[in-house]
Amino acid sequence: MGQVALLATLFAPFLGSIVLLFIPNRKPLLVRAVAAASAGTALLASLYVFMAYDPDQGGFQFITKWAWSEELGIGFHIGVDGIGAPLVFASAILLFAGIFISWHIKDRTKEFYIFLLILAAATIGVFMSLDLFFLYFFYEMSVLPMYVLLGIWGSHTKGYLSMTDEEGRKLRDSVGFILNFGANSKEYAAMKLTLFLSAGAVFALMGILLIYHFSPVQTFDILVLREVAHFDGTLAIIIWLLVFFGFASIAPIWPLHSWSPVGHAAAPAATSMLHAGVLMKLGHFSIIRVAYEILPETTRELMPIAAVLCVFSILYGGFVAYFAKDTKYVIGYSSSSHMGYVFLGMAALDYISLTGAVIYMFAHALATGMLFAMAGWVYDQTHTRDIPSLGGLVKNMPFLAGAFIIACMASVGMPGTVNFIAEIMIIVGAWEKYPFQVVVAVLGIVLTMAYLFKMMRGLFYGQMSPEYAHARDTSQWVDRLPLLLMIGCSIFFGIFPMHFYNVVRSTVVPMLDRINQVAPLVTQNTTGLLP
Amino acid sequence: MTFDLTLSSSDLLLLAPEIFLTIWLCVVLAVDFTYKQIDHEKLAYLSVGGVIATLINLIWFDYTGVEGALFKDMFVLDGVAIFFKILVLISTALVLLASIDYVKSFKFFRGEYYFLVMMSALGMMFMASAQDLLSVFVTLEFSTFGFYVLVAYLREDQKSSEAGLKFFILGVFAAGLLAYGISLVYGETGTLVFSEMASAPGSIGLAIGFIMIFAALGFKIGAVPFHSWIPDTYQGAPTPVTAFLSIAPKGAALAILIRMFYVALATFKPTWVLLFVVASIVSMTYGNIVAIAQKNIKRLLAYSGIAQIGNVMIGLAAGTKRGSDAILFYLLTYLFANLGAFAVVIGVSNLIKSDEIEDYNGLNRRSPFLAAAMLLFLLSLAGVPPLAGFIGKLYIFVAAIEQELYTLLIVGLINIVISMYYYLVVVKKMYINEPHDPTPLSVSPPLKAVIFVGIAGTLLLGIYPKPFIDWAAAATLMFSNIAAPTASAPAVLTSLAGG
Repeated sequence: MGQVALLATLFAPFLGSIVLLFIPNRKPLLVRAVAAASAGTALLASLYVFMAYDPDQGGFQFITKWAWSEELGIGFHIGVDGIGAPLVFASAILLFAGIFISWHIKDRTKEFYIFLLILAAATIGVFMSLDLFFLYFFYEMSVLPMYVLLGIWGSHTKGYLSMTDEEGRKLRDSVGFILNFGANSKEYAAMKLTLFLSAGAVFALMGILLIYHFSPVQTFDILVLREVAHFDGTLAIIIWLLVFFGFASIAPIWPLHSWSPVGHAAAPAATSMLHAGVLMKLGHFSIIRVAYEILPETTRELMPIAAVLCVFSILYGGFVAYFAKDTKYVIGYSSSSHMGYVFLGMAALDYISLTGAVIYMFAHALATGMLFAMAGWVYDQTHTRDIPSLGGLVKNMPFLAGAFIIACMASVGMPGTVNFIAEIMIIVGAWEKYPFQVVVAVLGIVLTMAYLFKMMRGLFYGQMSPEYAHARDTSQWVDRLPLLLMIGCSIFFGIFPMHFYNVVRSTVVPMLDRINQVAPLVTQNTTGLLP
Repeated sequence: MTFDLTLSSSDLLLLAPEIFLTIWLCVVLAVDFTYKQIDHEKLAYLSVGGVIATLINLIWFDYTGVEGALFKDMFVLDGVAIFFKILVLISTALVLLASIDYVKSFKFFRGEYYFLVMMSALGMMFMASAQDLLSVFVTLEFSTFGFYVLVAYLREDQKSSEAGLKFFILGVFAAGLLAYGISLVYGETGTLVFSEMASAPGSIGLAIGFIMIFAALGFKIGAVPFHSWIPDTYQGAPTPVTAFLSIAPKGAALAILIRMFYVALATFKPTWVLLFVVASIVSMTYGNIVAIAQKNIKRLLAYSGIAQIGNVMIGLAAGTKRGSDAILFYLLTYLFANLGAFAVVIGVSNLIKSDEIEDYNGLNRRSPFLAAAMLLFLLSLAGVPPLAGFIGKLYIFVAAIEQELYTLLIVGLINIVISMYYYLVVVKKMYINEPHDPTPLSVSPPLKAVIFVGIAGTLLLGIYPKPFIDWAAAATLMFSNIAAPTASAPAVLTSLAGG
């Protein structure tokens, strides 16, 4: 049953996109219904997977394994552990919500949903891959739909063509660090995102190929590799760095983040949600899956790199978000900043903080998904994302304003939301090893509060410009359902986190035992695993 | 050396596909001459029927394991030969189908067109079986001969004539190089058969001879620095011919390259590995970087083809059985993606009479089918999962890392990112830009069939490549012994250095 549910989670969106191919574009309602049905199937199946995961047993569960190519040592091997299960669930929630958030898209509706479903299915695929080949397969597959989604249905930053500085030079897209040489058009954002992530991916692929070549068994199977493959010396360091920075570029860790806020800003609401909500977590997840599982000793030695870089992520993202004037840039940079918390939680290699990091990924997916969904709604109503020109929208949008406050609170980590649990665990767990970073992280929370409340005030309170008088609230159920779903999940797991906590912990503890060398690296029962 | 030309019926069986195709193409020509008013479409389907029958024959050979050699090993039918013959014939059938609408725009010589395509295909089938240098020369020229005419087929069009002339002059030059190289090699070794050369000692003459042969074959596959004819010829030639030129002769020439280097030059592997490493790096990088600047889709695909050949040569640089498997599989993925992309180009140029990338603006609004197909083909060429090209690239990279060719691997991986840029620029034009002229475009049934075959192949090879990987691995079983690299110093290098 669990196996079937896991397969259904993966294949329902794929199947939906295939069915959509055969539905004509002039029946938009049917298109939406099919998309919603496939996403709903995935949501229910992933909920079952998440709930049925047995924390007492731990390890990888609901495993399906089909031979794919013996010649190359590749198997279609999927299953979830306590880290994959909640992330699969989060992806399905955001996909389902995203379908409804994009309910009003008129231009090429069918194509939009096809690409959105492929994007989500591919991210789900990464979270359940137990084979390095398929991990990369789904990873790269999730990047390409972003190009089309951003390019066609995205939006330019306001007045991007006319943005110049005092000397008449074209303004750069963001205050990023690397490769900022373009205008703020959506095409540019899409191209930058795709090339940046593909470049990261090929570095990771190099690492994966090195693992494949130097392991005693020629296989891509993670469960076999983690038992039989041992790397040390320079080779291990090279592989680890390739894998870490290759995958961290999507996370995005400073200084590899500059594609991310641009991409968020250009993307349509549903894509931003999936992008910030789950696509970015592919980075952390893949690092955990590849580096933590296969290179535990090197991880222990080199993870301080992440602890250093996450400080820059947190502060830099936070400050830029504070000064940004575009709603999506604020949320985008806040996401970059918040991803630094996950890296801090991962770097401390403490079971409380790592559990916190995993819960934080889930929590951030919901919180940032809500924020992007609502920023998208405001943009659709007012056709601007410029915070200074907006204001007073609470009169027209009481429901949305309320939901926005909840989303901000969740993002800040107010008790009662799942974000609180995650943040507190990261801070407590990391305190012993990285007190300085924890101080920064707490400052970051203050910063988060500052920029989110500033944005909230700018959007919903104060004077409303008369040109936005026609803006209306979310009144139909299709518009409210996704917001309520995300808010509901955030609060539910904030109040009843125990199952969630047990699930994550059941995986994190043995993993950290291996890394911190409490447990022997090689377990005795490897014979059954070898092909 | 005496030639014994008595043939038994079982020997003739090995030649059955070639004999059948020869008869068939004569029939096509005869029908065209006899019934002057015949609808050329019927002629096309007649040709396709013959090609498919030959294809079935070869698949049956592969299934039942018919193998053997004829004419003192000049002609050999083994796994590799059958594989490449099938590759050539699939592309021939698809090109013939894709030509039907295009040929309508010809004023004259419609019937001969099909004859010439099939004749080139026949030449390439012989190339796939060439096992000694004499047959290499004869079959290579045989197949190129048809192409000389085909490239210049649009005789009213200056570009086509220019393309034909360029192709001809450089082609003849390459033939001269080949002949000279063969004479040198024969002078040094006293034999023309690959397997007998394997034991020959290294010498400068041998090295120069083989470098000349490599240059001539490099001309056929379009590897840098022998690529200069490719962009102009691709642009000027009738598009179906370009499509044919972009895959079938490359495949056939690679069959010869693999045989020559794996069999005749197995002892000098460390030397030629270096040759292929350099050629591969240069081809990939040059092809991809120059492709970025292209404004014409045929030129873009020409440069992308140069880069793809660079990728294929990674497999040769690995110089192992795994390397040759990877090449075979890669060519299969390239066949579907590249022919599919050209089929879309043919479809678009039939309708809007333009090959400029600018005119692909808004193709998604004008014909969602063509745009979606092109998206798939380009992404497959770029190597994006779950499409065929990704598996092909990965297979090649696995072959390379087994030989620890790190430089090659890094260059190859970076080139994936570079190539993604220009493929995505085309995607941007098709999907993001608005059309200048929003009239919908429709595709004719035969072309649609070709595109569907391309899509099916691209997806199938990407999602379930196992049978094809196994097939490629089985076809190259004879190279199993090359896996162990020779540890001895490269003899040719020493001879070049010390004399």
